[in-house]
Amino acid sequence: MNSTYALETRALAKHYGKTVALRGIDLAVKPGTVFGVIGPNGAGKTTAIRVLLDIIRPSSGSAEVLGQNPRTGGTALRRQIGYVPGELRLDGRLTGATLLRYYESISGPVAPGAIEALAGRLDLDLGRAVHTLSKGNKQKLGLVQAFMHEPKLLVLDEPTSGLDPLVQQEFLRMVREARDNGQTVFLSSHVLSEIQQAADEVAILRDGRIVIVSDVESLRETAIRRVRVGIMDAAASAVQAALAGIPQLTDLKLSENGELRVEATVEGNIDPFVKAIARFTVSDLALEEPDLEESVLRLYSAPEATDEN
Amino acid sequence: MKTSALPLFRRAIVDSWRATLGWSLGIAAAILLYMPLFPALGGKDSQMTQLLDNLPSQLVQTLGYSNITTGSGYAEATFYGLLGFVLMIIAATSWGTAAIAGDEESGSLELTLAHGVTRTQVVLERTLGVVIRLVWLALFSALLILALNNSSELDLKPANVFAVAAAYLGLGLVSATLGIAVGALTGRKVYATGAGAGIAVLSYALNAIGSQSRDLDVLRDFTPYGWAYHHTPLTSGADWAGLVLLYGFSVLFVVIAVIALRRRDIAG
Repeated sequence: MNSTYALETRALAKHYGKTVALRGIDLAVKPGTVFGVIGPNGAGKTTAIRVLLDIIRPSSGSAEVLGQNPRTGGTALRRQIGYVPGELRLDGRLTGATLLRYYESISGPVAPGAIEALAGRLDLDLGRAVHTLSKGNKQKLGLVQAFMHEPKLLVLDEPTSGLDPLVQQEFLRMVREARDNGQTVFLSSHVLSEIQQAADEVAILRDGRIVIVSDVESLRETAIRRVRVGIMDAAASAVQAALAGIPQLTDLKLSENGELRVEATVEGNIDPFVKAIARFTVSDLALEEPDLEESVLRLYSAPEATDEN
Repeated sequence: MKTSALPLFRRAIVDSWRATLGWSLGIAAAILLYMPLFPALGGKDSQMTQLLDNLPSQLVQTLGYSNITTGSGYAEATFYGLLGFVLMIIAATSWGTAAIAGDEESGSLELTLAHGVTRTQVVLERTLGVVIRLVWLALFSALLILALNNSSELDLKPANVFAVAAAYLGLGLVSATLGIAVGALTGRKVYATGAGAGIAVLSYALNAIGSQSRDLDVLRDFTPYGWAYHHTPLTSGADWAGLVLLYGFSVLFVVIAVIALRRRDIAG
């Protein structure tokens, strides 16, 4: 059973009575990588994650975490995992610092100063009573308890929920540092854009099934980008003719206002478009960061529709 | 320090000191209210005796006031059998419910179990936390009553005070451990509380019915309340058979809790 993966599931399924939460998923996560699971709420992300932590037991199929069955791996296995549950609910009169000491006492050893360093990065006040903290601050506490003992595997269910954008960026840096440190990160989100910067590989989960597993680079190749170009000394008809041959180009809009403004959507490879406008005098060029989520949803909305009919 | 023993137990004790203090004050108030009144109420020809003679005998039997003219009968009827019993059952049930079901419904059990602890350890350490708190309440009641023994003219034997406190503790343990077991089986606070409080209410009711007549007396041998007080430990010393039943069922409920929690999915 010694797998070369940090985390592996085979035909993992879970149903509650007649409700099917997971319809048999196969995942393989290489050590030292960041693996993202994306899917709408109810897709089965949390169910899969809770099986990995032995919070719930699968109906069929198997899972292996750090080479061990979560069911039998016991405390030694779980000490090597840092976990943020999807619905993190922390409460009590105790302070954040006390709560973290408690979690330290039931997980791996924490290096001196690690808790304070993480709290500082996330701008979290450890001296306040937990029940007075906002949702975002509770989420930060959850992140600190998951990261503080530098576990081999981080399992983070919707880790960015409730965090403001600046803290999200800091969190993504923490994830990349963990990976550079040799740790494996398994995280879920219902929005790809939140984690596409950090993930090496992404699985799209929908309705208890994996729709696709892909590396982020390949997703980028299918990406949809919006482009805006300003062109001088050219007629609209000439630009239109030049762009006509590009197959992945849609939503073309031309407007003349002193100079010619071109707006369009380019799918996949950007190169033909760049080559096509290169012959004109370009005064302005804006290329949006690709929205991978939109690409994925566009790619897979068709098959899903036929599934349901 | 980082891997020190019994982390869950220590957390449970630290988290609950306020509640423990509150219940201790409640018990102190009940004892300090009732015991000093005994010299005025008790005694063969006291007003209390005359009052009880005029009450329906069924009511007197139900309240367990038939031996109220002795110090031991008075302390058992007023505190251990009634107000103290209610306080003990509420404390035991709320702590037993919180130990598993409450923690699961609040969502924090999931995160605890995702750490380096086993489910068996969670049940046992949390049960130990509840047991220690209940032991304290029972011991505290005994010490307080002994402290008032002379001034309130109760004329109690110290050994018998500890015997009744052991029975009193046993009643708390049955409700607490049943709450823990039902919490471990269902994960629902409402069922755990219902079971812990329900067994006490049922037990008290059957005991009251059983005390009405000789024919029904046998009922009292089948209830925790009867196991604790039927043979009047404060008057006649420890009822070992009753204690074995009280503590035996408590152990059984804990075993059930361990097995149940190990087997099932934890609710999110």
